[in-house]
Amino acid sequence: MAGPGGDMQWCFSQVKGAIDDDVAEADIISTVEFNHTGELLATGDKGGRVVIFQQEVENKNLPQFRSEYNVYSTFQSHEPEFDYLKSLEIEEKINKIRWLPQKNAAQFLLSTNDKTIKLWKISERDKRPEGYNLKEEDGRYRDPNTITALRVPVLIPMDLMVEASPRRVFSNAHTYHINSISVNSDYETYLSADDLRINLWNLEITDRSFSILKHNLRNFIYEDPSGHSWSPSSSLPVFEEPENPSNRSFFSEIISSISDVKFSHNGRYMMTRDYLSVKIWDLSMENRPVETYQVHEYLRSKLCSLYENDCIFDKFECCWNGNDSVVMTGSYNNFFRMFERGQRRDATLEASRENSKPLQVLKPRKVCTGGKRKKDEISVDSLDFNKKILHTAWHPQDNIIAVATTNNLYIFQDKVN
Amino acid sequence: MILKGQKRKLDPEDGEAADMSSPTWESQRQFVFSVSLNKYQRGQELPEPSLRRSVLIANTLRQIALEKHGESPPPPDSALMSGEPATPPTNRGQSEDEDWGSVESDFSLSAAISSILTALDSTIDGGPQAAPRTPLRSVENLPESAGDAAKPGYVNDVSMEDLFQEVDASLLGRVGYPAEEELICYLPPFSSASSNFREAFELEHLMEILVES
Repeated sequence: MAGPGGDMQWCFSQVKGAIDDDVAEADIISTVEFNHTGELLATGDKGGRVVIFQQEVENKNLPQFRSEYNVYSTFQSHEPEFDYLKSLEIEEKINKIRWLPQKNAAQFLLSTNDKTIKLWKISERDKRPEGYNLKEEDGRYRDPNTITALRVPVLIPMDLMVEASPRRVFSNAHTYHINSISVNSDYETYLSADDLRINLWNLEITDRSFSILKHNLRNFIYEDPSGHSWSPSSSLPVFEEPENPSNRSFFSEIISSISDVKFSHNGRYMMTRDYLSVKIWDLSMENRPVETYQVHEYLRSKLCSLYENDCIFDKFECCWNGNDSVVMTGSYNNFFRMFERGQRRDATLEASRENSKPLQVLKPRKVCTGGKRKKDEISVDSLDFNKKILHTAWHPQDNIIAVATTNNLYIFQDKVN
Repeated sequence: MILKGQKRKLDPEDGEAADMSSPTWESQRQFVFSVSLNKYQRGQELPEPSLRRSVLIANTLRQIALEKHGESPPPPDSALMSGEPATPPTNRGQSEDEDWGSVESDFSLSAAISSILTALDSTIDGGPQAAPRTPLRSVENLPESAGDAAKPGYVNDVSMEDLFQEVDASLLGRVGYPAEEELICYLPPFSSASSNFREAFELEHLMEILVES
């Protein structure tokens, strides 16, 4: 991305989280999501907490405009639970957060762990009532016999307080681990999915959902809790690319397993992330992707050991920028990749504490795949496979990105912005 | 990145399509097979195995078994091992189910493994060429790929979890019985294989079981 004449240059903006190299398990970031305006940025962690950052909108007319995200609200979304029937503990790790479109002053988001989805209301309070008749200021009740005159309580300003309260709890609908949720723009329904089934929920109704078994998707059978089922007359399109026989190996199936899917903002395209690549599909063309980007092709010769150490099962996410011209995804060694679709340009950047000076421009990184390693390049065998960037998010309008390393959240922005 | 226990100068996965008979290929296949078996067993010991992971590992096992069977010389007592079906190809219909059913009770291990792989198979979305699979008798409430509409959703989940519990991991490593051969014998055919190969594979299964009984 670095280059003269209007290209994107990414600068460090902020980093959130502990500086410690010793990572506390509960602090491991498990999901990152901007809200629809980009003003709020939510993260979920392994300890079941949600932290919401809010963008402080400084004067946008100033040069070197910097938007800073500061903590807006922190709350414990999920607690560990014990399933007595199966005798196992249900992790409190937040797998996904999805914001609802904003309808009034309050914000709503859905957060989910492996088994339970919760609808949270986040509301601001900057006034409090004072002057009750029956209560003292400290809360003690007054003896009604002592009251001689009535007054109307008044609202007086107070320091801003942000409260999160659970409004709905949706549980007992998934046997396997919930891996994603998706909100309908009608603000009434949403989907939750595990490896086997997709459930369709109404936000108002917590005791039942419509269930679609994924392996039935070809014939598309719906089932509701009463056992009634039906299927539409047409079946779903299937996006599938024929396999390249020269690339076939024992691991072909594993590496073609899709770890994330994202629709483009304009609704025309869909991006899929598999282990080694990002593919962009035109929704009107099912037989092959329109674009394929190699994320870390140098890993192809290492698949055997990546299988052995389980890295091959890592589920990387991907995201689009606001106008669908650039896509981003994470890799190992705290590297992340960006692909500029029209320009056919790509970059490898790194999220690290060493490059964390304010407004420091990120230098492109390069992995050396063989032969003589140039200065500043890193060889494949030196990559740290414990430092993986699985979760990334792009501000819906601006060139601001949030990149999660194991326990830190990095915020980068485009220098020109 | 250090590869546990094995240092390789060659990258066996490069150009593997060309060189499947080399010893490196064979040793890698062995390696992947034993790692996969290990992973699968350990995964099943967890109270809640990850479905995606189990499916991917099981399919990798099946892939290896398929390739191994494509190459191994036919056992001497089976005329049907030549790779061509002696009888005209039949659909997997009721008659084959009945054949399975009659010897099934004697082979709880084979049934368990086959049923797990079939269960996993019917869980995932098969390829466009996948033939609909008739469930094995021991697993009566497996859903078919179309039409099992009336069952409440949870029954399917529970039955698959039951299947996960069925395999006693220790059975897979019985002393004196080569685990790999055993597993290969009982793996059901790869769903997208050509029908000729698949028929041969199925007939081979039956022969193995009948010969042993």
